[in-house]
Amino acid sequence: MELIPRATFEQIRHERVEELIAARKQGTKVVGYFCIYAPVEMVQAAGAIPVRLMRGGQAAEEAGEKFLRADACSFCNSCMGNFERDQLYQQVDAVLSVNTCDMMRRLPESIEKHFGIPVYQLYMPRTSEPLPHRVAEFRRQLDGLAGELATLTGSAIGAERLESEIAAFNRLREMLRQASDTRRMNAPLLSGGTMLDLAATAWLLGPVKAISLVEEVLRILAARPRPETRRPRLMLGGSILTEDDRWLLEMVEEKADVVTDILCTGTRWFEGTVPERGLSPEVGGGSPLDRLACFYFSRPCMHRRPNSAMYEYAQRLAREFRVGGLVYKTLFYCDPWSFEVRRLQEAFGLPVLHLDTDYSTENREQVRTRVEAFMETL
Amino acid sequence: MSQRSLTSPTGRTSPTSDFPDPKPARVTFDEWQELFEQVPEALVEEYHYFPSNREAFSKYLFPPQTFAIYGMRHLRRLKYDNSLAALRMWGFVQNETERLFRARQTGRRVIATMGDLGAVPVIVNSFPRCTAFYPDCIWWTPFAMESRVLFDAAAELGIGDATCFSRAALGAFAKHSYFPDPDLVIASTGASCDDYSGVEQLAEQFAPEMLWVEMPMRCEMGQMGSMRPMLVQEYQRVVERMEKLTGHHVSDDELRQSVLAANRVRKLVKRLRELAFRQGVLPALEMMVIEFGNLHYYSDITEWTAVLEHLLATAEERAAKGERVLSEGALRVVWVTPPADPLLLTYVEDHGARVVGTEYVINQALEVIDESKPGLEAIAESFMAASLIGNSRARAQSAIDQAREHGAEGVIISGIFGGSHCAMEGRLIADYVKAELDLPVLEFDVAPPSNEIGRQLQTRIDAFLEVLRSRR
Repeated sequence: MELIPRATFEQIRHERVEELIAARKQGTKVVGYFCIYAPVEMVQAAGAIPVRLMRGGQAAEEAGEKFLRADACSFCNSCMGNFERDQLYQQVDAVLSVNTCDMMRRLPESIEKHFGIPVYQLYMPRTSEPLPHRVAEFRRQLDGLAGELATLTGSAIGAERLESEIAAFNRLREMLRQASDTRRMNAPLLSGGTMLDLAATAWLLGPVKAISLVEEVLRILAARPRPETRRPRLMLGGSILTEDDRWLLEMVEEKADVVTDILCTGTRWFEGTVPERGLSPEVGGGSPLDRLACFYFSRPCMHRRPNSAMYEYAQRLAREFRVGGLVYKTLFYCDPWSFEVRRLQEAFGLPVLHLDTDYSTENREQVRTRVEAFMETL
Repeated sequence: MSQRSLTSPTGRTSPTSDFPDPKPARVTFDEWQELFEQVPEALVEEYHYFPSNREAFSKYLFPPQTFAIYGMRHLRRLKYDNSLAALRMWGFVQNETERLFRARQTGRRVIATMGDLGAVPVIVNSFPRCTAFYPDCIWWTPFAMESRVLFDAAAELGIGDATCFSRAALGAFAKHSYFPDPDLVIASTGASCDDYSGVEQLAEQFAPEMLWVEMPMRCEMGQMGSMRPMLVQEYQRVVERMEKLTGHHVSDDELRQSVLAANRVRKLVKRLRELAFRQGVLPALEMMVIEFGNLHYYSDITEWTAVLEHLLATAEERAAKGERVLSEGALRVVWVTPPADPLLLTYVEDHGARVVGTEYVINQALEVIDESKPGLEAIAESFMAASLIGNSRARAQSAIDQAREHGAEGVIISGIFGGSHCAMEGRLIADYVKAELDLPVLEFDVAPPSNEIGRQLQTRIDAFLEVLRSRR
C-alpha cells in the first residue's frame, strides 16, 4: 500500500495553487525556476515565492510544439505547453532560468517572447573546476540576480533575511535527505514514486510547510513495520524526471525498489548544505552570497565539463545504497544525458536499462516489456 | 611579367599571365579537370604549404579530381569558381589532413582546439613550431566523402543519429587517421552547442590531456564587456599550459605578432566578404571555405594568408572590370548557420540566387582584433562578438543587419535535426527576421550525407526562390 496516497499530494498541490493566487492578489510575486542551480534562498529572501516548474505530460508537450520545433526536448516543449494550460505555471510572474543545457538556455527566450513573462538568466559557468575567477563570475551573477529580484518585488535582499532563508532551505534539504536515506535499509518503505512526490511538493510549498510535511512522512515511516521481502535495488538517472513521469516509477517498482537516484528532481537538489554563518571560516566565511555561489557552483550535473564529479556522485550513491542496476531515462534530443549512456555503463559495471522517450503515452507497454526484461536480468 | 615579380616568399598572390583566368564562371568538376590541364607545370611546382619547406611533399596545387580519388566523392557534384586562386584554395584546403601529419613528422606540436571557433589558435600560434587545428571542421567530411563511417564510429561511443553532424569529430578521434593524435587538446565550452560539448567530453578519452576553457554565455547584451576579465583569465590558463608543453615562455611581442597575423587574415576576409556580397565576384561555396579559414587558417597561417591575398587580388580585379561570377539579377539571400552539405550552396546558386550575407556561427572569428590592447585582452574582447555567446535575438540581429545592408530578399536558415541550438534557435531567428524585415524565411534541416539533395528539400528551395521572385 502506498505510504501516502497520490491524491494527498494532488490535494496539497491544488491548495497551494489557491494560496499562490491569493498571495498574488496581495502583491506577492511568484518566481518559477527549473533546475538545481537556481538559488531559491535569494528568491525567498526577496519576498517572492519560488516554485519549481517540473511538469511534463503529453498534452503539454503537444501544446508546446506550437512554439518550438518538434526536435526541441520534450521538457522544453511541455514547459511552453504548461505556460498555456497549467494553473500553477500561470501564476508565475517571472522566470529564473540558469544557462545549463542548450535548450534550457534558450527556452526562456521563447517564454518571454510568447507569454510576456520576464526572465532572468543566470549564467553558471559550464566548466566544473571551481577556479576562483569562475566562482567570482558566478558570484557576480548572483549580485545581478539580487538586483533583478529587488526590482521585481520592490524589496532588497537583506543579509539577515538571506541567512535565515539559507538556514531554512538547509533544513529542508536535510529533511529530504533523511527521508531519502530511509531507503538505505533493505526493503525500504518509502518508494521512489513517493519520494518524487514528496520532493516536488516540498519545492512547491517552500521550506516551512515542506519541513512539516516531511516530518510527518518520517513519523509515518517510523511507525510502519517493514516487510521482509527483498527485491532488486535500483538507481534512477537521466534527464529531468517530472511530476508526470511517476508512471515509470510505478512500473519499475512493481518488481523492484528504487532506492536512490542521480536526478535533478531527486537527490541532487538536497545533496549537501550551504555553509551557514558562524561556522569555521573555511566553510562559513564570507557573505551569504559568497557561500551560495560556492555551494551552487559545486553542484554536479552531467552537462558540466568535465563531468567527472557527476560520475563520482553516481558511483558513491550506487555504493552506499547497494544498487544492483540503473534505470536511465533520457528524453529525445537531450544531449547532455543521452551521450553519456555508453560511458556510464562502462563506469558502473552494473546492468543499465536505457529508456529514450518523449512524453507520449502510446509506448507505455513497450516500455513495460523492456522494464520487465531488465528485471529478469537482475 | 617576370616570374620573380609575381612570386612572394609565400607564393604567387595575384592572377598570372602564366595561366590567365578565364572569364569568371562557376565550373563543374569535369570542367576543372580540362582547365587544369592548361596549368603550367611551373605553377604546380610553385605552391607549397609550410612555405619555408620546398620539398616535393608540400606541393598542393591539385585539381578537385585528386581529392575525389582519395575519397572526397562529393567534390564531383559541386561547382567551383574557375580562377587559379580558387583552384589553389581548394588544393590547399583539401590536403589539410596530410599537412597535419607532416606537421607532426617535421617536429611541430599539433594542438587540437575545440569549441571556441577562432580565438584559441591565435594564442597557440604565438608559440614557435605549434600547429593548431579544429577537429570541429571534420563535420563536413562525411558529406565530402558521402560516407557514414565517422558517424558510425561516434555512435559506437555513444552519440547516435539525432544530433549535430559535429559528432563526426568524435568519430575522427576514434579513427586516429584524420589528424595526428594531438599533443594537447584545448576544449572550450560554454558558449557553444551542447552537441559539441558532448563530443568534447567523450573525446577526452583520446586526449593525452584536455584543458577545459570556459567561454562565457552572457545573459544580456549589457553584460558583454564585463565578462571579458574572466575570459582573459581563461586564456591565461591556455598560455600557461602551452608554456608547460613547449618549454617556451611566450612574450608580449610574440602574442602581438600572432594577433597581427590573425588580423591580416581577418581583414582580407572582411574585404572578400564585401566584394562577394556586394558585387558577386566569388561564389558562396568558396566564400564559406574562405570564412572558415579564419578559424585556424587550415593549419598554416602563412600560406593561407597568401592564398587569401591571391583570392582578393582576383576578386578586386573582377570587381574593377565589372565582371561577376553570379548575375546581378540573382535573388539575394542571407544564409544563417553553415550548411553541412556544401551541395546546398551550389544548388541555390544554380537556381538563380546568390548569398549576400552569412551568419555561420563564427562571428567571433570574423571580428578584427583590437591591436592597441594587450594580446589576451584583445582576443577576449573580439570573442565577445561570438555567435553563440548571447541569445538568439543577437544572432538574428546579425542576419537582419546584413540583410538590410545588402538588400536581401530572403533568409535561409539551415539546421540539423536534433541539433541542440538549431532546435531552439531556428524558429526564434525566423520570427525575429519576419517581424523586423517582413522577408520570407526558409528554415530546413540538412539531411545526412548523400549523393544528392533530397527531392522534398529541392522542392522547398525551389518554392522559396519562386516566392522571392514573385515579390520583385
